Amino acid sequence: MMRTASPAFMQNLRDVVEMTPLLVVLLGLFGGALVLGLLQSFGYAPWFGINEFPTTRYFERLWLSSDFWFSLGLTLYYAFAATLIGLVISVPLSIALSKRFKASRLFSALIRLPLMVPYTVGIALALVMLGNGGLLSRMSAGLGLIDDPSQFVQILKTHGGCGIILVYVWKQVPFMTLNLSAVLARTGDDTVEAAMVLGASSRQIFWRVTLPQIMPGIVSASLICFAFNIGAFEAPLILGGGYPDTLPVLAWRYFQDANYAFQLQGMAVVVSLALVSGLFLAAYLQGYRRFERARGRV
Amino acid sequence: MKKTKSRAKQMLLASTLAVVSWSGAVQAEDAPGMFRSEFLQGNMGWPEVTAKARAEGTVNFYYWGGSDIINLWIDQVATPALAAEGVTLNPVRITSTKDTVDVVIAELAAGRGEEEGSVDLVWVNGENFFSLKQQNALWGAFADRLPNSVNFEWDESDPRSLLNLRDFGVETGLQEMPWSGEQYVCSVNRAHVPVDQTPATFAQLKAYLEANPGKFTYVKPPHYLGNTFVQSVLYAHNPDGTGAAPYQKSFEELGGAELARLMEPGMEYLKSLEPLLLGGANGSPRYPENSDELDNLFLNSEVHFDCKFGVFANHNGLITGTYPEQAEEMIFPVGNMIKNKNYLTVPLNSPHPAAALVAINYFSSVGAQASKLQAAGMPVGLDLWRLNDEDAAEIAAAAPPHYGVTQQELDANIAPDTNASLVDVIEATWLAVIERKEDKPLADIVAQVSGELNN
Repeated sequence: MMRTASPAFMQNLRDVVEMTPLLVVLLGLFGGALVLGLLQSFGYAPWFGINEFPTTRYFERLWLSSDFWFSLGLTLYYAFAATLIGLVISVPLSIALSKRFKASRLFSALIRLPLMVPYTVGIALALVMLGNGGLLSRMSAGLGLIDDPSQFVQILKTHGGCGIILVYVWKQVPFMTLNLSAVLARTGDDTVEAAMVLGASSRQIFWRVTLPQIMPGIVSASLICFAFNIGAFEAPLILGGGYPDTLPVLAWRYFQDANYAFQLQGMAVVVSLALVSGLFLAAYLQGYRRFERARGRV
Repeated sequence: MKKTKSRAKQMLLASTLAVVSWSGAVQAEDAPGMFRSEFLQGNMGWPEVTAKARAEGTVNFYYWGGSDIINLWIDQVATPALAAEGVTLNPVRITSTKDTVDVVIAELAAGRGEEEGSVDLVWVNGENFFSLKQQNALWGAFADRLPNSVNFEWDESDPRSLLNLRDFGVETGLQEMPWSGEQYVCSVNRAHVPVDQTPATFAQLKAYLEANPGKFTYVKPPHYLGNTFVQSVLYAHNPDGTGAAPYQKSFEELGGAELARLMEPGMEYLKSLEPLLLGGANGSPRYPENSDELDNLFLNSEVHFDCKFGVFANHNGLITGTYPEQAEEMIFPVGNMIKNKNYLTVPLNSPHPAAALVAINYFSSVGAQASKLQAAGMPVGLDLWRLNDEDAAEIAAAAPPHYGVTQQELDANIAPDTNASLVDVIEATWLAVIERKEDKPLADIVAQVSGELNN
């Protein structure tokens, strides 16, 4: 009895020791920040001379304004649209890239290029190309299509968010493709070939064989991208349509204000955003688990 | 053997005691805050300060690093000059002074008190100074105690001293030293706007925009450049015709109802201007986030005007290529071109306070101010009437040129800044009325936002 318990105990101990660095970072940095953020959003900030803990005033003020819900809608819209468009592009792309063809290596290397480029550079590229002072507008003005560059059709800085979604998609398609390619490489061609031999059409193969096979890749890639998109603020700040802003930008504006009382309001925005994105991600994972269970994989 | 051992023990003990008592003495002299209280009580001569500064060695200077020509001047002129005084200037270029204010306040909150912080010197004014002052994060009243303090007017009986003693209406308490004096100046692109169509009043601006819709915009409040534009609108539309005068009072003195009454015509004007601004025709006027964005719009002919703090902004824009070639200054709005000063201050927990004072003394010298004016196009912060003829001539010779207007015309149209407590309320009102389009009586909005501000 003792002999069997001891190694198990040692194994547990080893696991704990191995996890410690990660736990310290997670609990210390992330957990600490989370607790501080929560405390502030409920009115605890004695270092600014504010201590009304616990008050729900900051949440009330936020949730009772219709603009907050519009901002939330915008935030979700950009995040969903970019993730969906990214998936629609990268699923067929990864399948195409899993087959060998002429210059397929060069092609897949080219596609990975945006992975190396930071988001801000992508934003700058969008401004330089598509902005009303950008290359396209100046060229159209130079060619006499429009009288001056400001008449160019407004692509950026609208609530439609073409620029924001474009930058997200441009940056995230290579990431998703890479993820999906890894899953495809792991599963191999056997099942596809078997389906072909049994006379399945290519459409049937995609919907019945390939797609379920790469589902884990789709879920993990879209989860990561969605979580990023919902919390990112540079693209909506620079390429967005101004007021009402997305929630991360709204929080940033509160933090930027010289008046420290607004910091607490900003924390309420951040906490609300974390709540919403947490709910969505949990629901998504729950749905995925149900899907896997139905297929008998879990 | 035993004897020698015990003797050795004794000696060790004695030397330990000596070391302990000696370090105790050093500690008493160097205890955090000692230098501060000694200097502020006037018990310390300037040679002692410079000696301590050399011992400290470094000064961490946090400042807005968005201007290449200012950065160049710091690196090529100020750093060598301070090195000659035995102090290494460590420039920390930041994008927003608010970030540095955050650092100082966070450090103090984390218990890093006197001489334990990381920021020695900050370029600051307005709301950020107000925040530092409100949080008791300032080092002390040093501004009239430096050798070069003679270059500034500190006598309160002289009304001209107000620019040195009030920062956005907040008493500086001599806790910051003027560095530069700026004025809100608009530039116009002569490629599109002939002289006879150049607006001089807000009514003329509106008339111009009715003929040329979309060719103007201003930086979005709460950015200070946007706030300043709104303030000049409010001055010009003051229903009593008293301009900036009532806006010098604090919010408590003035009262919300009175402020709302004063603001009403100005806010109406801003509302009526919205459809005529850039992008306003589509129902979503575009307000740039900062001056860089506005400069780009101006350079690209998307707008015909560019307003910002900068007596020599037009000159600087032309030499750096950020303004269109035919940019000229304009006198707009007549009589309400807001002027203020910006300052250098030392945070309470500065780790090298003596070096910071030596640096401030250098920045306040006639030589440094003249070369900064010439190389970086930053107007002087010192007061010309305090200088002798020779020094005044040096400054005059260093001034960059003006385009289309004269320095006399600029000086003749000065208006003071708005009290910092009102700035907060005005910017919040702008956000409510213009951005959120709240359709309530102005008095209600002012009461609501001031309540939210003061909690």
